[in-house]
Amino acid sequence: MSTFSQLLAVVAFLMFWVCILYVLFGQITVRKLRKNPKTKDALGMEYVSGWDIVNVASALAIPRSLSRKLEKGPLSYLYANSDLLFENTTKFDQLLGAIFYWLLIFTGLSGPVLVILNSFGLFDG
Amino acid sequence: MSEIILTNQLLSRQSFKEQCGIELNQLKDIHGRTPEFAVGNTPYLLEPASSVNSKPSTEGLSALNQLAPMYISRDLANLSLSFGSDNVLALTQIRNKLHEANVGITGAATSFYGNRVSGFIKAVQKYQDTLMQFRKVIEAKSPQRLAVEQKVNQAYKELQSIFHYEMESVTAQVKSRRGTALSNQDRGKNIARSSRNVAKLDVTSQAHASELAQFARYTKFLGNGLAVIDFTSRIGNIHNTHIADGNWHRQLFIESNSFAFSAITGTAIINIGAHGLGLMLAATPLGWVGLIIGGAVVAGAAAAGSIYMNDALKSNSGDWYDSIINALGI
Repeated sequence: MSTFSQLLAVVAFLMFWVCILYVLFGQITVRKLRKNPKTKDALGMEYVSGWDIVNVASALAIPRSLSRKLEKGPLSYLYANSDLLFENTTKFDQLLGAIFYWLLIFTGLSGPVLVILNSFGLFDG
Repeated sequence: MSEIILTNQLLSRQSFKEQCGIELNQLKDIHGRTPEFAVGNTPYLLEPASSVNSKPSTEGLSALNQLAPMYISRDLANLSLSFGSDNVLALTQIRNKLHEANVGITGAATSFYGNRVSGFIKAVQKYQDTLMQFRKVIEAKSPQRLAVEQKVNQAYKELQSIFHYEMESVTAQVKSRRGTALSNQDRGKNIARSSRNVAKLDVTSQAHASELAQFARYTKFLGNGLAVIDFTSRIGNIHNTHIADGNWHRQLFIESNSFAFSAITGTAIINIGAHGLGLMLAATPLGWVGLIIGGAVVAGAAAAGSIYMNDALKSNSGDWYDSIINALGI
């Protein structure tokens, strides 16, 4: 197996965990938020059903100052309302969301980066 | 070229001619005979008038044969009647293209548009509701008038700012010089204030609600159908491997890996892209043109990312499967 294939396997293994965390976070945290009338309409835009899980994770994971800036901007209807979410979630939810979100972003971006580097021939030698 | 005629109900010779303007004896059924009446959900071949008595073309008959099963012809009749036959043909082509590219992300893009259209219709309805409320307040000479007027302004502003493009396409067709309630909020308020006979201010009909609703359905049809299409093609691969006595466990591993993980790639890129766009718009006076261009770039990057990931995973995960199986000693 080439170095590229091995590195990609590591990413794929982590992606496997992303899938599990996606379901867990959706069931544990987001289901609760969808039922809560206070947060029901503050979960951001759903491009496809289930996307609100990503929105909530993102609002819980990225720095507060950044999400406040996003929510003030003209695209605010895309994102979940982080202030409301922090009031209505536990520390565990926030930790789970942060792990899920950063793992999703890390694996989702490192995969294509590996593919691009491979196409430049970095792993040939 | 042969044309296929489909109806969704039983039509006699007379009513068929009234509805379609075509003589029934120009049609041929699946056995090449001229039918006595048109049966619903059954495809008929329309041959040029000159060849009424000659045999139908074999090409046309084979097309009829393919469409003849009830479950196909019924769906096709319903789809053609609700979307228009041209649209069904276009949809078929789009579906085939997507089938080739198998990009879950295109589904995300079309769903995004479906959401926008239904959001727009909701916003128009909200504007209409506030106008009606405004009318009631004026008639009752209630002191809340200013507050409600504020609400009308707010609803109109929301329409203008969030649904700028939809507004333009809808109001571009309005010919009246004074504009309508939809293109001009003062006009809306005046109608609400002065007309005596307005029982219901129908802003939504001016917004061609039915057309838009149909389009919303169309994008939904595309959006939700896509994952299914993609998934079934992958299941087809697994099934083929199984039939060919291949290692179908290995194929299952490859297909499910590449499906789930290319979706993760697309999700991550779209998410980062949406944040980047949000910050860019918040920090600069870039406006809607920037948003459109930026959105296209993000969607393109996400699509490219997930296509490349899909390929990379497909060509590598077979090896991973082999080494996992070797390591486990199975």
